[in-house]
Parts: sequence; structure tokens; C-alpha cells
Amino acid sequence: MLQYFLIQAANGLVIGVLFALIATGLTIIFSILKIVNFAHGEIYMVGGYFGYYVITLLGVPPFPAVLVAMALTFLFSVAIERGLLTPLYSPRIERKADYGILVTFGLSVFLRNIAIIIFGPFPLRPPSFITGDLVFGGLIISYDRLVAAGGGILLLVALIWFLNRTVWGQALNAVSQSRESASIVGINSERMYMLAFGVGGALAGGAGALIAPIYSLSPSMGLVPDTQAFVIVILGGLGSVSGTIIAALLLGLSENLFIAFLPDPSRGPSYANAFGLAIMMLVLLFRPTGIFGRQHLAME
Amino acid sequence: MRRLDIASAALIAILAILFPFFVNAYWLHVMIIGMIFAIMAASWSLIAGYAGQFSFGHMAFVAIGGYTAALLATGFNLPLPLGMLAGVLLSALLGGAIGWTCLRMSGPYLAIFTMAFSEVLRIIIVTEVEVTGGAGGMTVPQLFQAKTDLPYYYLILALLIVSVGGMMAVVASRWGLFFRAIRENEQAAAAAGVKVTRFRIIAFAIASSLAGLAGAFYAPYIGILTPDVASQDQMGLVVAMAIVGGMESLPGAVAGAIVVEFLVEALRSYGQWRLVLFGALLLFTMRFARNGLIAPGWLRLRSLAAPRGPRLAKEAAD
Repeated sequence: MLQYFLIQAANGLVIGVLFALIATGLTIIFSILKIVNFAHGEIYMVGGYFGYYVITLLGVPPFPAVLVAMALTFLFSVAIERGLLTPLYSPRIERKADYGILVTFGLSVFLRNIAIIIFGPFPLRPPSFITGDLVFGGLIISYDRLVAAGGGILLLVALIWFLNRTVWGQALNAVSQSRESASIVGINSERMYMLAFGVGGALAGGAGALIAPIYSLSPSMGLVPDTQAFVIVILGGLGSVSGTIIAALLLGLSENLFIAFLPDPSRGPSYANAFGLAIMMLVLLFRPTGIFGRQHLAME
Repeated sequence: MRRLDIASAALIAILAILFPFFVNAYWLHVMIIGMIFAIMAASWSLIAGYAGQFSFGHMAFVAIGGYTAALLATGFNLPLPLGMLAGVLLSALLGGAIGWTCLRMSGPYLAIFTMAFSEVLRIIIVTEVEVTGGAGGMTVPQLFQAKTDLPYYYLILALLIVSVGGMMAVVASRWGLFFRAIRENEQAAAAAGVKVTRFRIIAFAIASSLAGLAGAFYAPYIGILTPDVASQDQMGLVVAMAIVGGMESLPGAVAGAIVVEFLVEALRSYGQWRLVLFGALLLFTMRFARNGLIAPGWLRLRSLAAPRGPRLAKEAAD
């Protein structure tokens, strides 16, 4: 029994790392563009398919394929930002937050359904990174999960380095604090919007490519991470990268333990999602700045 | 101008009454579905377009109305109309409660909260198979024993006229001004004496009760109710209808719903392409024609029909 809980906890941490990738992407987009991207789960789905086709059609080995998928998702996200989100920066548009909500919501419906046509409705599974399971005492965990978690941690470390130690990261931080002041010191904020949306999308795409060998790819795979990422960013405080990472690990762990503790196993998996959503609703009600109490910027 | 509006409304009403005599049973069915969606789209446009509360939980109230009617009728042998009434009342109550719960939220926070509410409800319906039939759906008794859909058609026509007419009366009254004041700036509205709390709850309760009405009618008409009614794709379809019609126009939303529903049926052979097209239509409208396609088109048509010159100046002075 203890062994079962251990396995569930390990799986929860792996999923938590991948959730963290998706949700930090969402939080970066929010803190720079000041919109909540309702199509984020669909960009994650597209990233997974990019990875799959890079491996199966171009014959790239699975590890570099993740990076190629991230680069492609970056370009894909920038194209979306250029095509649909530029009105957000125009002074002539009123109620920008509403525009952001509706346009990204429409995009999610569009991408989810066009994916069924392009990729087909059936689940696809790319080859494993490393086949087999690691057996460590009573703990059994597949190498694919370990690779996904390791890759996710590497990407998160790279992201934190990028945000704190590079000129681009500091420019992003400046824009998130004040668009006007950033322009005064010569930061081209439009370029930062492109960068933020691209990086946010690439993180989700990387998560999609890493997760593909564990769960299969399907056009609707973005639906659950979409809401889970909202849960995480609300828990962690919208706009806070470190809060997001901690909240993601907590959620991955607690959801898997919830499944393990729920007496009725047939209902566990479907109520696990509802469990996260219910926690988020409570946080939104009683502590809208997130459990770590970060004071985030007010919405326009 | 007003005369033109009244004349066209009367013409549309006559056409709507005569409609079943010109079409076959299939297109009558499409029209009924279109009118059900019209109630959903118009009530969503009341809460999102007028009151500025972007709720993505609208379809949850459709499900609440439908499942309440169905469960009361099958499980407790209550007469179906009573069950439908209970569904509408429960939707109004829960809608008001949700409006009260998220008083402090706005914009994306409200959208996420209501989306979460809708998803939790859908998950419960899918999982509690013994009660709701799960993803396979539950059968709902018929409302009329007639062989044709005519009674359904005239009932939904009456419901549509009453609900949209009621909403238009609300919007034209002082309440409509309060809704719009809250949408533009909540603090300023409160400072000007608008009871923000009360009217946000009222907006939610009205819109949700009508969503529940649409659901309560939909369930017995279709005869089978599945949790898909509360899915995000359905929500997207209703949002597309309201936006194509024109966000701040109730007749526009009705027209948008009926036009989009007829397009859906005309494109049925293209299957999966339909939702792609509506997603694209939604994106296109938001990107290039934010006021919608139908309502502004109607205004332009009307200004062409009206004679220019002195009369226009006189109306401006009125």
C-alpha cells in the first residue's frame, strides 16, 4: 500500500514539473501582455504534435526533437501574436482585457478542431526517449517519466537563468513592471510582447513534446492542462514565476494523492480535475493574490 | 427610424409565424434548434455585452435547466412543465449565487472562475453515471404527443419573443444604463450611485435563468441530454453566435444564432470543418469587425433606407 502511494507521489511530482512548464508560460504571457491566454493548452497540444512529426517525418532523435519542437512552437506563437494580438497595443481599442479573453478563447476552439482535421482524431504516440522502467526498491517509474521530469527541470532552470541573467530577461521584467518607463529607457515593448508570447508558447510546446511518450497525443489533450494551468497560476499568484513552479508541484502531488486516497477508484481520475478546479475557485474567492500572497498588478 | 424598426419587427414576426408552412420538417427542426441557441446567445450577450461580465459558465446553466427538468420528470414523476419551471428557477437562483460569489472578480478572473464552475459541473454529470447516465446521456420524456414539431416550434417562438422582448425592455430601462455603467467603470458607477452589487447579481440571475430556460426546453425536445451541452466547444459556438450578431445587440445575437445554426446545418456534410469555420469566423470578427457583422450591417441598411437631409437633422434634435 505504501508502495502505491510512493508511486503516486513520484508520478505526481513528474506531472507537477510538466505543469510548471505550461503554467510558467501562461504566467509570463500574463505579466507582459496583461492577458490570460485561453488557448495555452492548445499551444501545448501543437507543441506535442510538432515533436511527433519532427521525430517520425524528419527522423530527428527524440532528445533534440524536443528542442526543435520548442523552436517551432516559438515561431508558431509569434505568428499568432502578430496576427491576432496586435490590437491589444493599439490605443484605439477599448476594453483590451475583453478582447484578449475573446480572441484567445476563439483561438482555442479553432486550434482544437483544426487539429482533429490535420492530425486526425486518434491518439498518436511518439517513440520513447528510453524504454523500460527504473526499479528502485519498491518504487517503479518509467524512464520516460524520469526524462520528462529531468528535461522539465532543465528547461525551468534555463528559464530562470534567462529571466534573471540576460538582457532580454531584464527587459521583459522592465516591461512587466511598467510599459511606459520601459519605453523611456529605450526598450521596444512590441518586441518584448512578441518575445514573451513566443517564450510562453515554447515552454508549453516543450511540455507537450516531453509528455507525448507518456500519455499519447490527441487534439483534445490541451483541455485539461488549460484549466490546470489556470489553477496553478491562480494558486501561485498570477505573474509570479517562482510561485507558479511551487504551486505546480503542489498540485501535481496533491492531485495524484487525491486519486490514491479516494475510496472509489473509478471516480478518482475524473474527480481529480474537479478537485484542482474547486481549490482554485476557493483561492479566487478568499485569496485572489495566490497562496503566497504576491501583490500582482491590477487588470486594466 | 423607429417606425422602420417596428415595421421590420412586425414583418419578421409574420414571417416567423408562417415559416412552418413553407419548409419541410428538417428545416423546421433546424429553426427550432436555432431559436434555442438564440435564447442562449442573447442572454449571454446581455451579461457579457451589456453588463461586461465575461462568463464562460453560461452553458452550465443550460445544463442545470435541462438536467433539473429531466431528473424531476423521470426520477420524481413530476409533470414535465413543472420540472422545466423548476429548472428555470434553479438556474436563476444559482446564477444569482454565482454572480454574488464572484462580485470581487472581473475580466479574466471572472472568466476563469465561471469556466471552472462549468467544468466542475460537467465532470460531476459525467462521473455520476447512476443519476445522470454519464457521458452517454439520459433520455427525457416528450413534452407534446404530436406527430410534428409544430407545437414545439410555436412554443419556442413564444419563449424567444417573451425572453428577448423582456431583455430588451430591461436594457432600454434604467437598469440597462446601470448595466452599461458597471461595464464601463465599476468604481465610477458606484460613485454615481449605481448599486453595483445588486445589479451585477441581477444581470447574472436574468441571463442564467434564460440559459436554464433554453436548456429546459432543449432536453425534452431533443429527447436525450448529454453533458456535452456544458462543453467548452458549445460555449464557443454560443460566443461566436453572439459576436457575429453584434456583442451589444440582443436582436443581433438572435439573428447571429439563427444564421450560424443554419450555416451549421448547411455545412453538415463537411463534418469536422464546422467548428473550425466558426472558430475562424469568431477570430475574424473579433480582429476586423469588433462590433459584429449583423447588427452594424442592419444599421447601415437602415440608414440607406431612410431619406437623408432635414428629417435626419430633426431626428438628431429629438
